[in-house]
Amino acid sequence: MFWSMAPLLVGIMGLVGLLETLVTPKMLATFFRGRPVADTLVGTLAGAAATGNPVVSYLLGGELLQQGISLYAVTAFVLSWVTLGVIQLPLEVEMFGVRFMVLRNLLALAGTMLIAVLTGLTVQVLS
Amino acid sequence: MKTEKGRQSSVFRGRLFLLLVVLAYLVLAWYNAPAAFHALRRGGLLLLRLLPVFAVVIGLIATVNYFLRPALIVRWLGRESGLRGWLLALLAGVISHGPMYAWYPMVRDLRSHGGRDGLVVVFLFARCIKVPLLPIMVDSFGLRFTLVLSGYILAGALVQGWLMERIQRN
Repeated sequence: MFWSMAPLLVGIMGLVGLLETLVTPKMLATFFRGRPVADTLVGTLAGAAATGNPVVSYLLGGELLQQGISLYAVTAFVLSWVTLGVIQLPLEVEMFGVRFMVLRNLLALAGTMLIAVLTGLTVQVLS
Repeated sequence: MKTEKGRQSSVFRGRLFLLLVVLAYLVLAWYNAPAAFHALRRGGLLLLRLLPVFAVVIGLIATVNYFLRPALIVRWLGRESGLRGWLLALLAGVISHGPMYAWYPMVRDLRSHGGRDGLVVVFLFARCIKVPLLPIMVDSFGLRFTLVLSGYILAGALVQGWLMERIQRN
């Protein structure tokens, strides 16, 4: 079963290499405009489009916070980097079917944005 | 469980996808050869880095298939698994390592043996907590943020799993 998925997995890794080269962290940072609501959505989408080690998202997120980007947006970015992945959608469809993929990703998208807002609010209250 | 014909068409689609990626590399190499080599190197390094994860996944699939009978999987991760199933999925998500897609084959295997979709959702979302990377997160965002976010991730994973089950049931 695993070996039958090997070409798809290798293809995904090839695509990750391409994206990591063509879409740099600096490029992602330019999408943020300093508006909390819009930036939360941008953070979610940028994280979903990005690939690579989550450490990159932490470091980039730290930089974005220092640039004045809202905690909501940065949290959404860090979360969606791991939970949502445009690049792995073909594999997810192949493994679990379209229905499961759509439902899981919609739940993860809503969950990511909600958790980002709740985390930002809670940290503010605790501060 | 997939039929032999379904498995063959799945392999074909995988090869087609790989071919498209190779074509993308060739197009990039035509316009910007250094970038294509850089991308190829990054992809290759990723593959090398993931080999231990794949070894673990293959080992787990073999273990599941050899030792765990479907009845046992259903008891632990199926409809009747109860609180134990939710906690197992949460714990497995938190301690699992590597990118999400590396775990898809094992999750599919468990699902085909009777594992619940809600628990799959819990497992995949709980993977947001990366235990080895927590010190870096604390360094970048602070301890308060890390604790609050981790708490919400665990709760969010359970809520999403529950919602998935409700949607599936309807």
